[in-house]
Amino acid sequence: MLNDLSFAFQLYEGMEKDNLSYIYRGLFTQGVTDKIISLTETNLANFGESSKMKKRVFSIMVEGLQNITRHQDKLSQDEKSGIFVIQQKKTRYYITTGNLIAKDHIPKLTEQLDKINSLGKEELKKFYKSVLNDNMMSNKGGAGLGLIEMARKSGNKLTYDFKEIDDEFSFFYLHTEISVSQETKNEDIIYSLTNIKQLHNILNKEDVLLIFNGILNQDNLINLLSIIEEHMSHALLLKKRVFNIMVEMLQNIVKHGDTLEPEKGNSGIFFINKKGNAYFLNSGNYINNKKVDDLKLKIEHVNGLNDKELNKFYNDRLFNFQIDSSKEAGLGLIELRLKSKNKIIYDFNKINDEFSFFTIRTCIEYND
Amino acid sequence: MNNLIIEATEETPKIHLKKDTNEFVISERSLPENAVEFYTPVFEWIEEYQKNPNKETIFDFKLDYFNTASAKQITKLLLMLEGLQRLNKVKIRWFFKKGDLDMKSSGLRYDKLIDIEFEIIEY
Repeated sequence: MLNDLSFAFQLYEGMEKDNLSYIYRGLFTQGVTDKIISLTETNLANFGESSKMKKRVFSIMVEGLQNITRHQDKLSQDEKSGIFVIQQKKTRYYITTGNLIAKDHIPKLTEQLDKINSLGKEELKKFYKSVLNDNMMSNKGGAGLGLIEMARKSGNKLTYDFKEIDDEFSFFYLHTEISVSQETKNEDIIYSLTNIKQLHNILNKEDVLLIFNGILNQDNLINLLSIIEEHMSHALLLKKRVFNIMVEMLQNIVKHGDTLEPEKGNSGIFFINKKGNAYFLNSGNYINNKKVDDLKLKIEHVNGLNDKELNKFYNDRLFNFQIDSSKEAGLGLIELRLKSKNKIIYDFNKINDEFSFFTIRTCIEYND
Repeated sequence: MNNLIIEATEETPKIHLKKDTNEFVISERSLPENAVEFYTPVFEWIEEYQKNPNKETIFDFKLDYFNTASAKQITKLLLMLEGLQRLNKVKIRWFFKKGDLDMKSSGLRYDKLIDIEFEIIEY
């Protein structure tokens, strides 16, 4: 599916109804978890959420992330690695977590969840206290407390599902909605968990590590970079090349992207996936149709240069301190070519008379 | 003259320019949204320093990472130091972390393009 670039556009379209969404899939280290939290912090602040809403989103996110880290196996990869999804639609937030679970734990977990879902607000409060007491008496650790806390903070039922992985393990999905008002019908929630399960299949197949869909500003950029930095366990050089290319791609959107809603900032999508021995970095954003031809020429020009020519071109541009109005490619595009050692793959998808959706992909191969 | 002390953030480098102790260091990472604005005080400081520079200026570049927008500003900084060289001795020590061949090539690139003595040092 990723062979054609329309995947980025499809992803973007699929997620477009969200004002914001991001997905992380992989090993959840303390570092990764911290960075996901600060990414959310940044975005909650950007949206000007009330401190009450912030706290609710926060505590559910933290419980969810803890569930994943507690249950992950350090060696699990591919379809076995954990997933964290946050989406914002209008005034609602959805947090979905997924992690591996031993099959023999399913009946007990199901019983717990159903019990929690059967209780009203006051009953939940009492239940929380009694479980807390039991735990202190028996020293068992927080069995079920996290789930009760999530139900209480969301004010909604917890939606869940399982997917069989092998004889021993299943994948456990937990989906929570946090809304300002509680008028949502439960079907909506089930519907979006189904969507996420389908999306998860694609992400597994394409080995997608991170998707971000939302406003791309410098704060989000720094958080996304930190997540990838924490995630990658490769040699320094490869790590830095990925970092390098990611910065240039994202800053390009921050600086040159156009937006359908100017008051909000430049929105776009970024995702990173692995295939064979290569990382693919993909971004998509709107640009004004007037810019398309120029940009196409710039990319084609850079794509047509060999290594020596690229270096010469880079050196020339390095000494050009004029405000960039020339028709030549800027350092950013040259850098993408130099650091990735591959041609830049791109596409323009005309949306309407004013805008096109511009997707770009770079590929970085590695041997370690 | 006053020292210029800028501490590092997640997106901007540490810059310590101290005439009295003869220390000139830029380190960590540089990927500000607006590189021109960020580097302006640095250029202003160097301009002032050029009026009465130390006998020898050894400038340390110990960057972990810089984006292309910063690359241009680094070029500008190096060109200013190249100018300073007409009066006094200037030397650039360009550090790169073991294994970071890209940072090493960046040093070699500037060495070729700028007419100052460069020492490329692995750490």
